[in-house]
Order: sequence, then structure tokens, then C-alpha cells
Amino acid sequence: MDKINILIIEDTPEEAMELQEVLVENNYNVVGVANSHQEAMVLFYQLKIDIVIIDVFLDGNPDGITFAETISTIPNALKPFVFLTSSKDRQIFERAKLTKPFSFLLKPFNELELLYALEIAMEKFYGQSNVFSSESQDTIISDDYLFIKKKDVLNKVLLSDIVYIEVENRYCNIITEKERFVIQISLGKIGEFLDAKTFVQTHRKYIVNINAIEKIVLNDNLLLLKGNLKATFSGKYKDIVKGFNILK
Amino acid sequence: MYLIRSVFFLFIFNLPFCVLSQSGSKIDDLSIVLKRINDKYEKEKDFDKSQYFFLNKNWDSTLVYSSRALDQVKDLELLDYCHYMRGYSFMMKKLFNEAKKEYGLVSQDFRFYYKITRNLGGIALEQDKYDEAISYFNELEKLSNDDDYDFVRSTVIHDLGLCYFHLSQFDEAEKYLLRSIRLQKNDTLLLIGSYMDVANLYYEQYKDDVAIPYFEKAYSLAKKTKDFELRKNATLNMAVVEENRKNLLKSLAYRKEYEIWKDSLNDQNKVWAIAEIEKKHALERKQKQIGLLESENKIKISQRNGFVVSSILLLLLLGAGIYFYAQKSKTNKIILLQKEELDKLNATKNKLFSIVSHDLRSSVSAFRNSNYKLLKGITNRDYETLVPIVHKNASIATSTYNLLENLLHWATLQTHQLYFNMESIDLFSVVRQVEYDYMPLFENKKIHFENKIVKSIFVLVDMDSLKIIIRNLFDNAIKFSNEKDTVSVYTYSLNDDFQCLVIEDTGMGMNEETRKGLLREDAVLNKKKNQKGIGTGLGIQLCKSMIGKNKGKLTIESIEGLGTKMIITLQKNISNG
Repeated sequence: MDKINILIIEDTPEEAMELQEVLVENNYNVVGVANSHQEAMVLFYQLKIDIVIIDVFLDGNPDGITFAETISTIPNALKPFVFLTSSKDRQIFERAKLTKPFSFLLKPFNELELLYALEIAMEKFYGQSNVFSSESQDTIISDDYLFIKKKDVLNKVLLSDIVYIEVENRYCNIITEKERFVIQISLGKIGEFLDAKTFVQTHRKYIVNINAIEKIVLNDNLLLLKGNLKATFSGKYKDIVKGFNILK
Repeated sequence: MYLIRSVFFLFIFNLPFCVLSQSGSKIDDLSIVLKRINDKYEKEKDFDKSQYFFLNKNWDSTLVYSSRALDQVKDLELLDYCHYMRGYSFMMKKLFNEAKKEYGLVSQDFRFYYKITRNLGGIALEQDKYDEAISYFNELEKLSNDDDYDFVRSTVIHDLGLCYFHLSQFDEAEKYLLRSIRLQKNDTLLLIGSYMDVANLYYEQYKDDVAIPYFEKAYSLAKKTKDFELRKNATLNMAVVEENRKNLLKSLAYRKEYEIWKDSLNDQNKVWAIAEIEKKHALERKQKQIGLLESENKIKISQRNGFVVSSILLLLLLGAGIYFYAQKSKTNKIILLQKEELDKLNATKNKLFSIVSHDLRSSVSAFRNSNYKLLKGITNRDYETLVPIVHKNASIATSTYNLLENLLHWATLQTHQLYFNMESIDLFSVVRQVEYDYMPLFENKKIHFENKIVKSIFVLVDMDSLKIIIRNLFDNAIKFSNEKDTVSVYTYSLNDDFQCLVIEDTGMGMNEETRKGLLREDAVLNKKKNQKGIGTGLGIQLCKSMIGKNKGKLTIESIEGLGTKMIITLQKNISNG
């Protein structure tokens, strides 16, 4: 699992510092702090970012919203973001509301409020609401990553790193070449958000990354995977073999 | 010879009469047909005009328009009618050859072809072509006796008789003329003509004894009529007869009478002319009078219109005046109401200001005093006393901060500047976030806090206002609890639509009066009595407003000395309920 990369856009150095400290304490990775709109644009394109925290007012102007509006208009560039603001001024909020989806955090805020705002931003951005506040789920699926909440903190796993997924009741074991861990997610959600061409069900319990298959042992119904991992496939899902060119 | 010549002279007078006399009945039937045809061919303007003039016996105009119509009309039936009208008009103008030509152009199928035969016969008679005339008349005689043919049969017979008379076939002539007399018993004018012709017939044959009674009959009948022409002829005939009988005195008398009729005919023509002129004058005078009356009417109408317009304008003005007056009094009423409301609000605001500033003053002065103590403790190096003082300072700062926070929210709420966004919120997360800030306060007062809310209870609220509500209720719970009391938060489902969030303390509680006072809609801010801590009642007011804005409800259950339950009823988020 990897840390989430955060870009902070905040013009007051103390506040930026405080924010950074809280985030780092909670195992987030602050990749950059920008204190103006221009700097923010530069960093936004330079760095690999998962989420942006934006102060609405930069040097007294609502440049934070301008930034959000700008990245909203660029296709594929948009990332989840959280607005920071000290007043619930209606005019500002009406404008911010236009840059959908958005989440906001009212100053002064405590640690829990910050973490909650980050979760809400993720949920809203990927259109999978009420995930992190529920008992039965802790994972959001994006195109490239799984975002997993572990003890109030979000982490991510690159989808292409996953070798296979083992389903067990309400839990799933995620197995990568390096590690294995348990997430909570419903099978329906996997079906809905995971790319069916890459992740294929081979067994009642197994979902395998097709790119990680190294060998198919038909006699034993066995799949040899990357990193010396193995998974079985059952007769019901035998069709998967047809997808491959069989050497004779 | 003289006699014959004079008789002959008379015939000429009789002829046109016979032909023309038919026109009356002839046109009646024809006119209906013409009108019908005209309706059928509405587009033919010229035909329309020519038939109109034809029916009004304006022969010249008929000729002009029918010649135009002939150029345009293609329909065979219409063409026949045109030719017929032209022929008839020519005949009436005594242009017999032209008339014959036009009649010749009418096709044999023409509905009124028998009329043409009749007219051709008449023309032949006029032109002294007696044999030809006889053949035409015989043709007509052959036609059935029905009413289908609307010409006066007796006139045909009469004309036939005349023809034979002119051809000196007296027997034939006598036969027809007597027959026509029998047929004409009801028509005096025709009868007189026939009598005279019969008389002439006999007279020509020197049958004077038979002839003279006819002449006398004609004369006596003519006397009763108003037709001067007939009377003149009848008288002249009598004069000639008497002259031939050498009865010169009588003859002279008839001659004189004849002269009178001749003159009277002329006089009548003159009288008619004068009458015509007078009529014209009278008409002009009438026209002038009409013109005058019309102009008077115009003036009257314009006067009346002017009156109507001005009265309408006045009415409108009156209406507008009343309307504006009503509007004004309405706005006045509204302004008055608004003023009262404003006064009330202003009073509230003033009271709030005085209370808030008083509270702030007392809390800041407490701050100053404790700071003074702190400073003294530091100077005396009495470090043990410092810790409680710092804690006290912190709590004063917190409560002051809360007061200011509430004031700010209250202000934004009052000025409608608060951004409000209701969405699905997990109650557990929200309470946990607020709780995080309050843990030190609970611990400070050694209050046991329990969050019994389970995850995934979603309600539809604006999150920040819910936080403000919970904060205030926590504040109150702490304020009205003693050490080692318990504050707990839990939820329960009221029904399918509402979820209740309860903040319960085991503190001092309140009496019924206070409870009702807190929940009253128009509760005015009151300085709380018997309270050491600061408090304005602003917090609970803010809570009530915020809950109301979240479409929720606040209820309070309390037993004095045992504790209080603050129950917030909120909308469930149906989709994620």
C-alpha cells in the first residue's frame, strides 16, 4: 500500500505548516505546498497528485476557486479537492458549488474534520458515496487505484500491481507481489468498477489479473501467477482459457 | 280608297302594341332563369351587367355589355342567352334586321327558343312579310297548350288574324280574330285592339253593319281605359266611320274628341316632362336636405363621441386614482407592519448587545483577574497554584470563543448570508468530529462521555449547522452537569422518515417552567439567573433556528435534579436510510 499524495494550496505559511504536520502525522504524503494560483498550476502539472487541499482565499482573492474552475475545464486533469474557508459566506459557496464535485472544510478545524473532508472529497469525486463511513466497506475503486481506509487514514494500491483477489464473505484479500492485505468491499462493486477485461473471475473465490498469469496448468486447474503465486480455476469459469492462444 | 288608307294607317299603330304587350309576362319567367344562371356563373362580370340592364329594360346598355360578354363567354348556354338578349334589345330598338341576325345565332336547343319564334313572327309582321309571319305563328300554334310556354296565346292568334287580313284572306282572318276576342275577354287593352281589328276586317269587306258595332264596342271600352293612344285610335276610327256614313256632325264631334286625345297625349307628355323636372328639383332639394341632415348628424355623432371619450377618460382617471390610493394605503399598512417587526427585532438586537457585551465584559474581567493571579503566582514562584489558574483561563477562553462563534452564526443566519447545503451525513462521523474538541472539556470537569452511536446512520442535514447544534448542546450539558456525571449520545429511529439524536446528561435538570420557556417560539433572550457561568440563551436560540432550518425539531425532556435529554429529530436520508 502506498501513501496518498496531497498538494496544499495555502498562502499563510503557518497554516500550511500546521496542515502539513497533521497530514504527515496521519501517514499522508504532502508532495507540495503552493502559495499562489500560478505556483499551484505549475505544481499541479509537475507532481503526481491524488488530492488537492485548496484555501479559497489566496492573498485576499478567491483564487482558490479560480484554480478549481481551471482544472475542472481541463479534461482528465481534474483531481478530488477540498476547499478550506473560514466563513460560510454564501456568495463564495455559490461559486464554489459550480466546480462539482466539491467538499469543504470550515476553519478552525480539528484533525478528524480534516480527515473526514478528505474522505468525502474522494467519495464524491469517484461517485461512490457513504463508503468510508459505513461498517461494511472501506475501499473506493478508481481507474488506476484502490483507495483503502485503514484506521481513519486513506492509502492506495495501484490496480496493475494486484496479482489476484481472493474473496471471503464480506472481505477480500488483495494479493500483490510484495504484500497481502484485507479490504472490505462488496462483490457487486468490484463487478461495477473494476475493468472486466483485466480482472477476470476464475473461481467462486478468485478474481485474477489477466496480465499476471504466467502459466495455465489445465490438468490441475491451476494458474501460475507472477511472484510464484498460484490460483485455481473451476470448470464453471473455464472460458477464460479460450482467451489465450494455446501453444501445441 | 280614303277609307282603306285610313284603316291601314290604324293597323300600324296596333302592331307594336301587340308585340310589346308580351314583354311583361315574358320577362317574368325569363328573369328568374337569368338570375339563376347569373348566380351559376358568378365570375362573368359583363354577363352579370348585361342581364341586369336587360331586366331593367335599358336596351342600349344591354347591347354594350352583352357584346363584351360575347367576347369573353365560352359557355354555349351563356352565349345563347347573350344572343337572345341582344336580339330582344335590337327588336325593342326597332332594328329588326339586326334582331333577326342575333336570333339566328341562337342554337335550336335554347330553352326559350319558342320566344324567338314568337318574336321573329312579330318582326315578320312588322316588316309586312305576312307569309313568313304566318309560318312562324303556325309553328307556335302547334306547341302544346301547357303553361310551359309563357307567351299570350291569344296575341299569337290575333297576329295570325292580322296576317290573313293583310293578305286579304278575310275568312281566315275573321276566324282567328274572333277566336282571339274570345280568348281576350279578361284583358281589356288587348280586347280593344282586337275589336278594332275585327271591325276593320268587316269594314274592309264593306260589311258595315257588322263592323260598326265592333267600332262602337272598341270606342266604349277605350273610354274606360287610361290609355290615350287607344282612345285616340278608337275615336279616330269612329270619326272615319261616321264620315263615311255621311254623318258629318257626329264625325266632327269624334274628330274633335280625337284632337283632344291627341293634344292630351301631347299635354300629357309635356305634363310628364314638367313633372319630371319638378321631380328632379324636388329630388335635388331633398338631396340638399339630406346632405344638411347628414352633416348635422355627423356633428352630433362627433359631439357624442367626444362626450363618450371624455367620460371614459374621466372614469379611467378616477379608477387610477382609486387604485393608487388603495395601493398607497396597502403599502402604508405593510410599512407599518414592517416597522413594528423591525422595532421588535431592533429591541431584541439591543437586548442581545447589552447581554453579550455584559457577558464579554465579565468574562474578560475574569480573565484579567486570573491573569493577575497568574502573574502574582509566577512572581511568588508558587508554581503549584498556577495549574488550576491556567485551566480556568483555558475554560474562560473556550466559553468566550463559543459565545463569539454563536454570535457570528446568529448574525449570518439573521442576515441570510449562511450557505446551506443539505446532504446525506453519517451521524457517527459528525459526532466524533465534534467530540474530538470536547474531550478535554469533559475530562476537565471529570464528566464521563459516551458515544453510543453506531456507524452508517445517515440523515439529511447541513453538516456545519449540525456541528454548531451539537457543540451548543455539549456546552450546555457540561455547564449543567456536576463532576462525575455522565453525558451520552445515542440515536433511535422515530419512524420511516425521522431519526432522533439524543444528548443526555445526568446533570441538574430543569423545572417545567424553564423547559417550556426554552421551547417557546418567541422566546426572548433572558439573562439566566442563579448561574455562575456565562450564558445568554443565545446558544439555545441558535440551536432552535438551525434545527428548524434543517427541517428538524427540538424536544427537551428533563427531571429536575436527575438530568436532561435534548432530542433532535432529523430527516432520514431515504435513499441510504
